[in-house]
Amino acid sequence: MNIPTKPMLSGERQDALAVDADVIVIGAGPAGMSAAIELASAGCQVIVLDLQPTPGGQIFRALQSNLEARPSTDSLLAALGSAYNAGRTLIQQFRATAGIDYRPETTVWDLRADGTVGWLKGEMAGYLRARHVVVANGAMERPTPFPGWTLPGVMTAGAVQTLIKAGRLQPEGQIVLAGTGPLIFLLADQLRRLGVRPALIARTDRFRDKIFALPHIRPAGIPALLKGLGWLARLRLAGIPMRSRVTELKAQGRDRLETVSLTVAGRGMELSCDLLVVHDGIIPAIELAHCAGLALEWRESDASWRPKTSQDGKAQMAAGPALTSGPCRIRISGDARQIGGADAAVAHGRHAAKAILAELGRASVRPPVGAADQTATDVQRTMAARPFIDAAFPLGLAAQLPDDTTIVCRCEEITAGSLRTSIHGGATDMNLIRGVTRCGMGPCQGRSCAVTLARLLGEAATRTPASPAPFRARPPLRPLPLGALAKLSGLDPELAEVVSLEDKPEAALGGDTNG
Amino acid sequence: MDRRSDDVLIIGGGLQGCAIAMFLARTGWQVTVIEKNLAGRHASGVNAGGLRLLMRDAREYPLSLRAMEMWDNLADLVGEATSEACEVRLGTSQIALAMDTAELEWARARNQDMLRRGIYSEELIDAEELHRLLPGLANSALGGLISRRDGHANPANAARAFRDAAEAAGARILEHCVLRELKPKAGGSWRADTDAGLIEAERVINCAGAWGADVAARLGETLPIKVLALTMMVTARVKPFVTPVVIGIDQPLSFKQSVVGSLVIGGGISGKPCLEEGTSFTVMDRMASSAAATVSAFPALAGVPILRTWTGLEGATPDGIPIISPSAQHHGLWHVFGFCGHGFQLAPAVGEIVAQSLIDGLVDPRLAPFSVDRFAPQPKLVDEALQ
Ligand SMILES: Cc1cc2nc3c(=O)[nH]c(=O)nc-3n(C[C@H](O)[C@H](O)[C@H](O)COP(=O)(O)OP(=O)(O)OC[C@H]3O[C@@H](n4cnc5c(N)ncnc54)[C@H](O)[C@@H]3O)c2cc1C
Repeated sequence: MNIPTKPMLSGERQDALAVDADVIVIGAGPAGMSAAIELASAGCQVIVLDLQPTPGGQIFRALQSNLEARPSTDSLLAALGSAYNAGRTLIQQFRATAGIDYRPETTVWDLRADGTVGWLKGEMAGYLRARHVVVANGAMERPTPFPGWTLPGVMTAGAVQTLIKAGRLQPEGQIVLAGTGPLIFLLADQLRRLGVRPALIARTDRFRDKIFALPHIRPAGIPALLKGLGWLARLRLAGIPMRSRVTELKAQGRDRLETVSLTVAGRGMELSCDLLVVHDGIIPAIELAHCAGLALEWRESDASWRPKTSQDGKAQMAAGPALTSGPCRIRISGDARQIGGADAAVAHGRHAAKAILAELGRASVRPPVGAADQTATDVQRTMAARPFIDAAFPLGLAAQLPDDTTIVCRCEEITAGSLRTSIHGGATDMNLIRGVTRCGMGPCQGRSCAVTLARLLGEAATRTPASPAPFRARPPLRPLPLGALAKLSGLDPELAEVVSLEDKPEAALGGDTNG
Repeated sequence: MDRRSDDVLIIGGGLQGCAIAMFLARTGWQVTVIEKNLAGRHASGVNAGGLRLLMRDAREYPLSLRAMEMWDNLADLVGEATSEACEVRLGTSQIALAMDTAELEWARARNQDMLRRGIYSEELIDAEELHRLLPGLANSALGGLISRRDGHANPANAARAFRDAAEAAGARILEHCVLRELKPKAGGSWRADTDAGLIEAERVINCAGAWGADVAARLGETLPIKVLALTMMVTARVKPFVTPVVIGIDQPLSFKQSVVGSLVIGGGISGKPCLEEGTSFTVMDRMASSAAATVSAFPALAGVPILRTWTGLEGATPDGIPIISPSAQHHGLWHVFGFCGHGFQLAPAVGEIVAQSLIDGLVDPRLAPFSVDRFAPQPKLVDEALQ
């Protein structure tokens, strides 16, 4: 047997290969920024890569530019409230810390466990290497495939927030908010302050969930709960109609959304609607971790995957073959690791940074033996409200798996029905189904259908389903222009050595086989 | 445990294995195909689907020509409805680009040689015709070779079609069935220990694709195979602009535009194969040259994004043509693998000719160039001397 590829990156070779930084941080949200600040303050060279033009992540999106645009943005900043303005100090500190090489508008499209990161900025692309990588790419909204969810006029709460924060736009017309989770109340409260009155807040959660969730309350979680109760109280005071126990949500319309129908406590209702904003909680964005070959776990209660990490975020390799060898150089932090919100992300970013500093031998002052680990305690404290929130806002819009006519993969317009057919036809894993149906083959690379398909597979499983494996994640994870790839920089000399098919025939095959 | 005795046991349910099974079963032979995964799951189902005579090694020509006839009349082989699903499109042509004078020289010499052999399917075309056929092609392109009969098909559906046709003809197809042990029995027949129990057969055909050399090695036969994880890239959809399949001569270039508009780019570059686990990795560092070749041929494509990549495992021989041959060491054993990235097109003809050879008990002369004997330690192949 003659396998062409040489042994891949070994631990030693990777160190011999010039690194571009001590640490690469992917994502400049709360977790990424706090990790970068901590690391750079201790003297590390840190490269921070982020999609957005300014730091802040989802929650503090465009905060810097909105602050710079004052006073014209005064009312917007006021409306977005303390949850948004709280990012100001962190962003200022991030920008002021020497040693942070912040690269905005940069998309990461490949990640390897040995610390190699594929990036794209405009028409340029390349690979960067570091001794450690912190993956802090955050969360995504849980996909909610209900009838009509792909109609223009249906948006997620996160997308609406982006329009408000980065586009300085304000939704208009008859607006319905539907779903569950803290974000929907935060958004409703922000809209209220902007002077936008939703026609209805249709909550899928039930009062009963709150009762059942009560035993999960931890003292340290109480401030976060009070914040949530505050939003609710203000919405009620403002007289915004709110219904709970909503089921059977449907968006209807010919070319765009016209009406919304839903069932409240067994009674059907229909109302005309210009904008339906949906939200069903958030789940970790796992594509980078998965592409790097890191271990993931499926959590049935949350209908999502999350990476397997130690408390300081250290990831582990999944079982099976790997592209690179040597130690795993990746830590995962913030919502990408475990949903916890901004405060928890800041705490965890710092905690992960501390662990990296210790590994690099750069820990400024070693804590005295036996002393409480401050950053670890902060992580625990900031996550304290989580068990209550998880129990109080169980899966709502996505609780029921979609019926056969509902689209699951919006890129390729594949319905739950055709997926079920292919599953009953014997397709037993997500990759096979992708091959047969094209589900997950579109530009989003399966980000918006993977969890639903995993659950459809679980629904059909006769035995208790093992942890489903997501679609195979191959680079590029994000669209990568041919021209940028053609001029790719930072190639790994050994990996880049092209192994190719040599089947070009001889121009003239001598020996005259025959005439 | 199941125990039965077959005329033939085929290891590997790719296109080659299924095509052979189909032809044998149709003549009444009792055939079992064992496939460790799902039939067609590897190279046969994930290849680029190119059906080309263009730039075929002359030694493959007789097979390739026969195969083209068969693809052209696929309905006769697998039935009307099934053949429809295979989306065979012939006559879209394939074109090999000469981007520099060395490539143009090669194309000329090649063309001369083919004409001398009486093979007329390939034509030399000049820059003017080339640019007419391929709008958007870089000015620097000097000419090329065209095979107007060529085209493409849907590999996943074609692999499925041959599998189903073999089964319909009476072949037993055992999927998710791994070969554990294979032993020649006294008296010339074979005994295979598989996930589906013991299978006895008069003959065995090793159609194990990228794993073919492993299967042979287990029987003590060393065959020179390099395993490649050939990588494909798919772009976002662009306005339809090219009908022919375009390939490079020395450049790692190969692409076609799908019906929906996306470009499917190949080029024969390998990722990292993991044979044992039956998987492989895309190595983007290597795909830069493929992207560069595409963009230098079609500069306007620079802004078109690649959306995803995939790889398929394939075996390649040192001389670029497959092994289709009785074993040099065992009676009743054939090796049919090592198709060097262009075995999709050949499959129907391989099926027909191997089946006929078995039935006749005589190796068809068209298979002579593919004998394992050519890898005998000594006198190297004729073409070596002529490079
Ligand atoms: C990316 C790519 C692009 C290509 N493009 C083209 C093209 O455009 N045109 C063209 O003509 N050709 C092309 N090819 C080549 C073509 O796909 C192959 O030559 C052809 O499919 C080989 O068929 P096969 O049946 O030998 O192999 P395979 O399809 O790989 O089948 C072999 C089977 O054997 C099974 N197997 C192995 N070991 C065992 C065991 N011990 N027990 C049981 N089962 C076993 C495997 O699971 C596998 O399914 C391409 C190949 C690739 C990878």
